[in-house]
Amino acid sequence: MDNNDSGANHSETPQTGLSRYVFSTNHKTIGLNYLWLALFSVFLGMAMSLLMRIHLVWPGAHLPFLSSLDNSPDRYAALATLHGSLMVFLVLTAAPQAGFGNYFLPLQIGAREMAFPTLNLLAFWATLASFVGLTGAFLISTQSGITLWIVSVTIFCSASLCNALNFSVTTIDLRAQGMTLPRLPLTVWAWFINAILGMLIFSILLAACVCLLSDRLLSTHFFPPLYLLASQPGAVVTSAVSILWQRLFWFFAQAEVYVAILPCFGLVTHLVSTFSRKPVWKERLVVLALCGVGVFGFCVWGQHMFSSGMNPFSPLVFSLLASSLGLPATILLVSWLGTLWNARIQLNTSMLFALGFVSLFLSGGLSGIFLARQDLAAAAVSDDFITGHFHLVMGVAATFAILGALFFWFPKLFGRRLNEPLGKLHFWITFAGVYCVFMPMHWLGLIVHSRVSPGSPLASVAAAGSAIRTFITVAILLTVFAQGLFLINFLWSLFRGEKTEECNFWRATTLEWSVPSPPPANDFGPSDPVVYRGAYEFSVPDVAEDFVPQHLAPEQGAKARESGQ
Amino acid sequence: MPGTTAIPDIELIVENVGGGGGGGPTPPPGGGDDGDGDAGKRRRPGRTPSNRYYTGITLGIVSILMFFMALASAFLVRRGTSGDWIPVHFPAVLWLNTLALIASSFTLERARRALSRLDLSGFRKLWAVTTSLGALFLIGQLVAWRQLVAQGVFMASNPASSFFYIFTAAHGVHLLGGVGALLYVLARKFDNTRIALPTAAEIASYYWHFMDGLWVFLLTLLYLGK
Repeated sequence: MDNNDSGANHSETPQTGLSRYVFSTNHKTIGLNYLWLALFSVFLGMAMSLLMRIHLVWPGAHLPFLSSLDNSPDRYAALATLHGSLMVFLVLTAAPQAGFGNYFLPLQIGAREMAFPTLNLLAFWATLASFVGLTGAFLISTQSGITLWIVSVTIFCSASLCNALNFSVTTIDLRAQGMTLPRLPLTVWAWFINAILGMLIFSILLAACVCLLSDRLLSTHFFPPLYLLASQPGAVVTSAVSILWQRLFWFFAQAEVYVAILPCFGLVTHLVSTFSRKPVWKERLVVLALCGVGVFGFCVWGQHMFSSGMNPFSPLVFSLLASSLGLPATILLVSWLGTLWNARIQLNTSMLFALGFVSLFLSGGLSGIFLARQDLAAAAVSDDFITGHFHLVMGVAATFAILGALFFWFPKLFGRRLNEPLGKLHFWITFAGVYCVFMPMHWLGLIVHSRVSPGSPLASVAAAGSAIRTFITVAILLTVFAQGLFLINFLWSLFRGEKTEECNFWRATTLEWSVPSPPPANDFGPSDPVVYRGAYEFSVPDVAEDFVPQHLAPEQGAKARESGQ
Repeated sequence: MPGTTAIPDIELIVENVGGGGGGGPTPPPGGGDDGDGDAGKRRRPGRTPSNRYYTGITLGIVSILMFFMALASAFLVRRGTSGDWIPVHFPAVLWLNTLALIASSFTLERARRALSRLDLSGFRKLWAVTTSLGALFLIGQLVAWRQLVAQGVFMASNPASSFFYIFTAAHGVHLLGGVGALLYVLARKFDNTRIALPTAAEIASYYWHFMDGLWVFLLTLLYLGK
């Protein structure tokens, strides 16, 4: 409950040790904690994917981790589950939204704090608990592991709900004076829309998980297991029951894809505009497009269940909805390209990652068009095609956006900057690497389904399947090892990186750049920030500098203009 | 989720705790929180920091509603498609519980009206009645469970009973949070907190009425869905 007397002075007294990191309700500490957690999870998740690929190509190979835990098919499935849940929940959901969002949302809207700081702290610790649970589930026996996994996901849902509540209330009610909705940076728009979406869908997964847990622990039959259905006469249990879980799950899971990618849209738009030194092209339309992604993303859950025997008309509806996602996606893409058009682009590592995102989003999104159509999906759906599609468009693209944002905000976070040459090397290897890994996966998926008769010209293509698999595995090995470059860069820059003294290192416009780096505990010092203009006033004519910060009062701007002339 | 909105925060907002804000006729009582002072001190014209509580409870309610809607749609799908459905015979105490809960909403409103008349003792009395009615409802639900168990209807007996138990349990847990919020408003001294008593009472009342309405909806659903 509300407890104002204790810990209310966290912004004033310098705190040490436990209270500083564990019990701090400061939004910046919590945001950083999420980022550390995501960093750890992403490397753990990558190690998992490496083990899986090696096992796929050389099944007999002695794997250090798997072999010690009885090398069974169950264990392999558990490995894939752990990889997926770590990456989706703790990296893609947590890092761009909870990590960067907690740190920069209050800074960008001039709020000093999230609306409910203690709730925020609880949400972080619940997320950490779910991380421990998800990882622990892998190490114990399969049956209790599954239960523990569901419990952890339930905890994660609750944490995400608290987070979403906090984000939306903060955006609605704590904006600084002058920070009207049209002046919100697009990052904030994306976080906000995402929070609303998250609030709706995580409730659904929570309900589904509660039922599932009750099935496992209290032996109820909300979701009858398949063997039970098979033993009943057909009239007793129709097929609809078995897909009840699927409906609830995909209602969440399809929207979850957009929950992961929405903040990344915001981040990339922000980066592209800042480093093109141009306003976002058609900014209002971009906001509408972000809303559109949220709304359509909420409605397309049925897309995953074309093959589940639904009403013949419903695939058409879902197909249309899923295809209409192309509209906001196209608007975003055109806006990025329009912003880049004729711009003096600063091609630093951060911008490279943002452009990498655009490229990956485009190529991954194109294969999504296949999957949105019922007939094509039936032909193309196979493990490899789907794996390639969603890794490219969701996993890797989102990771690129996160990395771009990290390179961008590192000077603000730590007062130092990441090494540029090393960062660029890391970018190019990773960029080439992920294409080498995930593009061939699409081909693999199509080959499997082309039902080649022996002797036909396609037979040689089919024979190439195993060669492609080996190629993918080698590529993934190289890509994962290239991430070592990033780790070295990150750790080295944290302690030895070039110091960035000035507040506004990138000459950007938003409010977080008006405060020292790293920002002081109460963010804006004694006086509250006041906002006078939109978030993307770059290259305004008749101004000395090529950017006008949001907090610059019109009279100050006029003064600067005179001194410039 | 009013049980978790704790706000230790920075000094600047404390100076100005607004009275009403989210609609509803709650003129603030005398004690020191008369909304707008001089315009210079206010952070944003037309906004008071307590807005966040109104927004928070509204969004929280939407989120909780979504949770129950997911369960309700699962209920409808499961019921419409399976033959292993054996309707639950409602214990009579359930109707008494419902009456108690509806009555509590009325006493809650009476309490808030007393507060707006600055009748603090009347407020506390009516608020305590509301809280006990809420507690009574929860106890009554437990009694209903025991009666069902005595009939031999358990959680795992059949899908209908599973849904009955899970709906009542989920609603009970949420209502328990509501009782906690009512107790908090009753017990807490609102002298130097960021949230004023009328605000806290109004927030708690939103949640309580929502829980009340939700129960009536769930009961109707369970009854018609037998």
